[in-house]
This record gives sequence, structure tokens and C-alpha cells, in this order.
Amino acid sequence: MLIRKDLCVGCGRCQPYCPVGAIHFEELKSNVDQEVCYECGTCLRSEVCPVDAIEESPHVYEYPRALRKFFSDPNATHALTGIAGRGTEESKSNDVINRVLPGEVGMAIEFGRPTLGMDLTNIQKVTRAMARAGFTKIEPENPFNDLIQNYETGDLKPELMGEKVLSAIMEFKITPDRLGLALRTIKEAAKEVDSVFVVDLYTRVGQGLTIPQEVLDTIKTEGYTWRPNAKINMGLGRANERKDR
Amino acid sequence: MTHSLHREGPLDLLNEECVLFVYPARGFNYDGSGPKVRRLGEMLFHQGPANLLVTTLRKNMYLAVSQEEILDSIKDGAKIFCVLENREKIKATLAKIKEMDEGISIVVSGVIDRVREISAELGINPHTVNLSLGIHGKTDRLPPPDIRQFTTMCGHGMVSPKLIRDLIRRVKTGKLDLWGASLLAAAPCA
Repeated sequence: MLIRKDLCVGCGRCQPYCPVGAIHFEELKSNVDQEVCYECGTCLRSEVCPVDAIEESPHVYEYPRALRKFFSDPNATHALTGIAGRGTEESKSNDVINRVLPGEVGMAIEFGRPTLGMDLTNIQKVTRAMARAGFTKIEPENPFNDLIQNYETGDLKPELMGEKVLSAIMEFKITPDRLGLALRTIKEAAKEVDSVFVVDLYTRVGQGLTIPQEVLDTIKTEGYTWRPNAKINMGLGRANERKDR
Repeated sequence: MTHSLHREGPLDLLNEECVLFVYPARGFNYDGSGPKVRRLGEMLFHQGPANLLVTTLRKNMYLAVSQEEILDSIKDGAKIFCVLENREKIKATLAKIKEMDEGISIVVSGVIDRVREISAELGINPHTVNLSLGIHGKTDRLPPPDIRQFTTMCGHGMVSPKLIRDLIRRVKTGKLDLWGASLLAAAPCA
């Protein structure tokens, strides 16, 4: 993002809106630190500037800087997937798509969330650890695939190493018997990174929103807890071709 | 604000709120979803949501847009995020959605036990649960929990901790009321 110096009146109203604190005064005008900025567009979207001095940078869609935009601005639709956002539709349309079947567990490592963001060097520490443990297959439509150079080693593309994202979601599907290993690997890798990520999993439920006991037991055994709130797909969707059945 | 999976806050508050997503599935029921989502949107407005956003407009209902503008923006593939702030409203809304039977995926982001109760009362069988297993890594870099209660309402991390601190300061010094602060806090969330 950019703030036009010829227009800025130096009121500073935009500064608190930046999630990562990239906007500061410079010679009595607000200025965006290009190194810190994630190109999330929050300053512009909030419509807080009284003189419309905030603009999108002309270089924002140039590779590899474009990565910041695609993985940080929720309104940016990723060129590869056509999906706005960083992941797939995860559990949200699972009743229609059946991405995760009974006896499977979908997992997501949401790098940089909440709020802090993460650079690719730190993300690579986790992808390499996961690859060493045998987790090499990423959900096909997830834009995270765009970051990967070598699935077997977990190496990310070297030209992206200077970049960072507000959130990138590594999604994969496993069987419940591998959940413990995945959680242990994630916990160890978390010690190596200098930012944060959140971990979540999704699974089919039984009658009366019964979560598979094997999944809950593994979560507890590995020293994790689940939050009391969750996203719950209510099972009210269907594919068009089933509409008239 | 779209209630994140990782939303933090005291349980008594979380018990009384939910975010409901209307979510067409790409490649499965996108085509022709526009009129169905619009009918659901009209019904949701009728229920009196605390907030509502349609992805084809990306402006919440407090950003100087009319109900008609929001509904008119709906086309095939549009999704709705809608905040409901008490149990009875959540139940009444889900009952209506079940009755309408539009066939579009509905996701409720809320306390699992409450959703379980309401589902049982309405005869709905949920399909999939997405559990949050918490924040990991350098958690000492995070803002404190009282600030995260606000910032994690936006799952995309668009609400700045600095903005929340600034709004709290302005409310405490009488420069802004709670409603005004709420509107300003919701504005960055897309």
C-alpha cells in the first residue's frame, strides 16, 4: 500500500488501522513501510483517510511481492484457485463436496494467524518438519501448493524466501491413526518458529453431533485441547444433481 | 465481523452468539445458487441480525449500504456471513432455513454444546465439525487476551490490536460511545 505524500494531511487516522503497524509518521506525513506492509489493504478498505491519499501500490501484483496480496487480503482472489482467501472451502461445504469422508481427518495449519503474519523462512521450518514425518500431500486446490518447491523435502520456492504473508493455510487429509504423529510433529516444529500459527482439524460427526472418540482421545493424548466453539456444517446442503431426488 | 473458528472470549458471551454462513460449493451447486442465496438473505434480514455481509459486496450492513443494495449484489456463488446474538434467534433462523430447504451448505460457528442442543431440538443432523486446537509458536508476541477477544472476531486478522486499544481509550475518555466504537472496529473486517 502507498500513501500519497502530496495528498496526506498528516492526521495519522490511518495508523491504528494497520494490523501489523506498518504506518508511521515521516516528515509529518503518514508513510507505509514497504518492508513491513503485507498488502492486506485494510487501511484502504476502512475508508478512514479524509483526503483519499491511500492507494494500492502499482507493484503489488508483481511476483513475488504479489504473494503478500494473495495471502493477506481476504478480497483478493487467488489466481490459481479462483477462491478468495487462503485455503479451500475446508469443512464449510463438506456436506456437498465430501472432501473429508468418515474415517478421515482434515487438518489445517494456519500460519501467521491470529494477526501476526509469518515469513516464508519460518513457514518452511514447519513444512520441512511435516515432510520429514511423511506429510507431503497438500489439499489439491489449496493455494499453498503455489509456495512449494519440493513436496518430499517440504522446501518452499527459494525466490519467495524474502516474502511474508498474513495467513497461509497448509491443509492435508489423513487417517485418524496418523493424527498423533501429525500433532506431535506440529508441536515440535512450533518451537522453531518466531511467529504464531493456529491448528485445526475437521471430521465427520455422528448422530447428535457426536465427534469420533478416537479423534478426541488423540487430541488429549498429544497434549492439545479444543476450543468450546467450532465451525459446524449443519448438513443442509446438496449438490445440484441431487436436487430432484 | 465474521466469527472466526479461533474466536476467543468468555464462555457466557460465546454461548449467546453465533455466525451463520450460507456457503455455495464451487463446482457442485454454484450455478443457480444466486436466487437461493438471495431468498436466504431476505430471511436472515427478517430475523434481525447483529451484522450481515455478502461476499459479492464485501460491505457490512453498517457501512452506509441499504438492505436492498446488499441483496441486489447477490449473484451465483455469493456467500453470506451473518451474526446472530442470542440463542432463540439462532434457533428460529435454523428452523426457517430447514423449512426453506434451499440445499445450500449452512455452517454455524458457535459453542459446540449449544449447536448440539439446538440441532436436536430442530431435528437437524450436523455433518462435519471443524475444531480449533489453539495458537502455537511464539505466543508471547501476541496481544493480551482482552485485546484478542476483539481482534479474533475477524478470522482474517484484519482488526488491528492498535485500533482496539485506541478505541478502548476513546471510550474510556468519553470521546466515543460503545456503539460508535463497535462500528469502527467492524469496518476493517472484510
